[in-house]
This record gives sequence, C-alpha cells and structure tokens, in this order.
Amino acid sequence: MPALLEVADLVTAYGKIEALKGVTLEVAEGGITCLLGPNGAGKTTLMYSIAGILKPRRGSIRLRGEELGGCAPHEAVSRGIALVPENRLVFPSMSVIDNLEAGAYRRQGGRAGRGEIDADLQRMFGRFPRLKERSAQLAGTLSGGEQQMLAVARALMSRPKLLLMDEPSLGLAPLVVEEIFRIVSELHRDGTTVFLVEQNAHMALKVAQHFYLMEQGRVSFSGDPGSLAEDEVIRRAYLGSAK
Amino acid sequence: MLADLVQNTLDGLAAGSAYALLAVGFTLIFGVLRRVNLCYGPAIMLGCYAATFVHLSFGAGLLVLALVCVLASVLAGGYVERLCFAPHRKGSGIAAMVASFALWMQLEEVAILALPKHLYPFPALYDGKPIDLAGFTIRVEALVMLGAASVVCAALWWVLYRTRFGIAARAVIDSPLAAELSGISVPRVSMGVFALASAIGGLAGFLVSASFEQVTPMLGMWSTFKGLLAMMLGGLGSLPGAVAGALVLGLVEAHSQWFLGPQLRDLLAFLMLFMLLAIGPRWMTTR
Repeated sequence: MPALLEVADLVTAYGKIEALKGVTLEVAEGGITCLLGPNGAGKTTLMYSIAGILKPRRGSIRLRGEELGGCAPHEAVSRGIALVPENRLVFPSMSVIDNLEAGAYRRQGGRAGRGEIDADLQRMFGRFPRLKERSAQLAGTLSGGEQQMLAVARALMSRPKLLLMDEPSLGLAPLVVEEIFRIVSELHRDGTTVFLVEQNAHMALKVAQHFYLMEQGRVSFSGDPGSLAEDEVIRRAYLGSAK
Repeated sequence: MLADLVQNTLDGLAAGSAYALLAVGFTLIFGVLRRVNLCYGPAIMLGCYAATFVHLSFGAGLLVLALVCVLASVLAGGYVERLCFAPHRKGSGIAAMVASFALWMQLEEVAILALPKHLYPFPALYDGKPIDLAGFTIRVEALVMLGAASVVCAALWWVLYRTRFGIAARAVIDSPLAAELSGISVPRVSMGVFALASAIGGLAGFLVSASFEQVTPMLGMWSTFKGLLAMMLGGLGSLPGAVAGALVLGLVEAHSQWFLGPQLRDLLAFLMLFMLLAIGPRWMTTR
C-alpha cells in the first residue's frame, strides 16, 4: 500500500530540549498504524507536530507527497488531518451537536453546503447512537466513554484523509475500550486511514497492521504484529508476559 | 419609603443595563483571551471622544454619533488587541495586562491632547420631560438603555448560538487547543470577538455619555471599573452571570446612594466584591 503520511527526520523541540530527535515513519493509506512507547517518549509531540500545533524545527511531514510541516493547525485540518487529542478535549459547555458542528467548521459556508454536513451529522448519529440520544446535552455532562465517541465523531466531521488518535483508551473502563476499538476497526473497514497512539498493546494488536515503537524521541522498532509479538523486549514491556 | 424603593429599583435597573453592556463586552474578551483587558474602558472613552469631536466639528445628530462611537471603539479596541494581546497570546497574562494598563494611559493622553478641556457636552439622548407613571418618574433615557441592553443581549445570544461564527467563538472560549484542532483559526476568531465586544462597549459608552450629557477622560476608568466589577460579581466568564452581576450592581448602587449617600455608594459596591472574594473564591472560578 502506498504511504499516505511520510514523516522524515522530524525534530521538534521545546526550547533547547528536543522531544523528537529525528523521527522517520510512514502511515499506509487505508491501514491502521499504531505507535507504542513509554510516557515521555514524544508520541504526543509527534501528533501535535503532524497536526500543526507544534512547529517542527527540522525534517518533513508529507501527506500524499505534499509538504505539511510548519502549517497552521486550521490549515492542517483543511488539508485532511484530524487529531482526536489525548484526554478527548471536547467543548464541555457546548451541546453535543454544536461540538460536531465545530468539527465541520472548515466545511461550513464553503462549497460543501449545509445538506452535506447534515448528512454527515446523521451518519455520525447512526454510528454513535448514544450521541444522538444526547445531542442537546452539554458535552461536559457526558461520561468519559461518550466524550471519547464525541471527540472521534467531531474529528470525522472534518472528513479527514488521516485520522490521528492519541491514546483513545486512556482512563476508560475495559468495556468502553473494547467499544472504542470496535469503532476504530469499523472506521478502517470503511476506508479511513488511522494513526493511533496507544499504550494498550493488547487491544492495538487486534486492529493495527503496522507498529512503531518510540523511545526517547526516536523510533526504535518498526514491524508487523507478528514481529512485534516475537520481539522479546517489547513483549515484556507491552504485552506483560514472557513467552 | 415604598415609593423610594420602587423608584430606586427602576433607576438601578436602568444603570444596571448600561453596566450589563459593559460587562458583556468585558466577559467576551476575557472568555476568548483569558486575559484582563484594563484598556477596555479607555478604548470606549476614545470612541466617545471621537463622537464628541464629530459633534463639535460638524454638529452631527445622535444616530451618526452612535455609529462613530461604535466604529471608533472597535478601531481603538483593535489597536489594543494588536499591541497588547496578539503578541502575548501564548505568553504571560500579566505582561498583557500591564501592557493594557500602559495603553490606557496612552489613550487618555490622546483624548486630552485632542480635546483638552476637562469636560465636553454630549448631546442628550432625550431632552423632553420624564414620563410620570402612577407617581413614579421614569426617565426616557433609562427606558432607552433598558431596551438597548435587551436588544443587544438577544442579538448576541443569536450570534453565539445560531451562527457559524458563534460556534467558533464558543469553541475558542471552551478550549483554544481543541478549537485549533477542529480547524478554527483561534487568532482570527479572537480578533472577531474582540471587535464585537468593543462594538458593544462603544454602544454602552454612547448611551452613558448621551444620558449624562457629557464626556470626560474619566469615562475610561469608569467603564473598566463598572464592567470588571459586574463581570466579577457574575462569576467571571459567564455571560448571563455578567448581566445578573450588572443588574445587582446597578440596584445596590441606586439603593445605597439614596439611603446612604453618594460617598458610600461606591464603597458598598467594592465591599460587596471584597466579601465575595473573601467568602467564596470558588464562585469566581466556576463558569
């Protein structure tokens, strides 16, 4: 499969401290790619760099061959990148439906037209029936799982080419985590390309086709699920058992 | 006694509606920037000075003056935003606040240089007799203010809850990071909200000036204080709270002026704020 996203030699720094020290990786079109790594490895920094929140110091980020590095976040959304951020970050004092409208912000008033956005809203409500039930409720009053669904739906409202997800299972009950991953694989089946940051390697193994491991700002492993499970170090650190 | 109470309440609501406009503008700015803009009032004052200048030079009528007030306040507000807040968007809130204080001094000097007398007349909003209703006098200016505040609040609600810009503005107020990730340009939306808030403030300045029939450079400080006080009484950052806080402030002032005298009026308002801060600081952080 051709690469949708190509990150090459990316360096992002906070002041003098380089959080990414030359990261190179690829996300295949139509697939689910998973990024593993301990806290502080730079996973979120990588996500923020791709989404335009952080300006990389060096290196390149290409989406279908077009350079993205250094563009503003709203421009990244226009170009087809949507990030479901860590801790969800829904708009707590806005209703569920207004959260979704905000997700479609760049499409509104443009050529897309109201009808298309309304159709997408209905699609989201079809995929996430809980959100439909609570469409008038303030997002801050939803449960953690529901907020995660909302954050995913909000990101999808921009019709992204690439969906970035930063630890969607964080702080959620096991049953809810199962549901999130069911949705991720549904999205994959429908053709969405997903780049997933996850600590829950067991769940990720069920859905992802390619894995990267990041440590201290560098990619230290790249491989398919089979080679991941065979790697002694990774198995001990992320799958929790020796063979 | 009862007649006084009713009369004071009417006066208080009228003053409170002017405060409400000021507080709503202040709250919008605080909401999108998470910064206190001390130069909010002085920008409005400069707008009123521009209108006074137009009035003195060309003898323009009230509607033109209202327009000049609003436009000049938006320009002055934009100047403050560019100079104080845009450079400190991700930096220190204190730096931005101190910068806004410096611009306050600057705008006051500009006003004094342009029109050096301490006091200039402003055309009256209404120069007929007050309405006499069942023994109570109702100033027509008060009714105009109450009406204008209601219309502006309703229009603002419509903008915030029924338009694309409103969704973006509320998103930025709720979470700037999530707004950026949703494709909303936070700097652009913040500037729009700043302009909107300045326009509302300019209208408030016009109504206040035309109702007092005068402008002085003190209008700047007056507007900042009243707006800030009402916003804080309303719980920092909530628009309905700001309106409620403004009405309470107007009522407390009207009653205390009547029963305790003008010297104690302002003291009481600040005492109220002080007690609120001392007793329930959590009140201030809820939005």
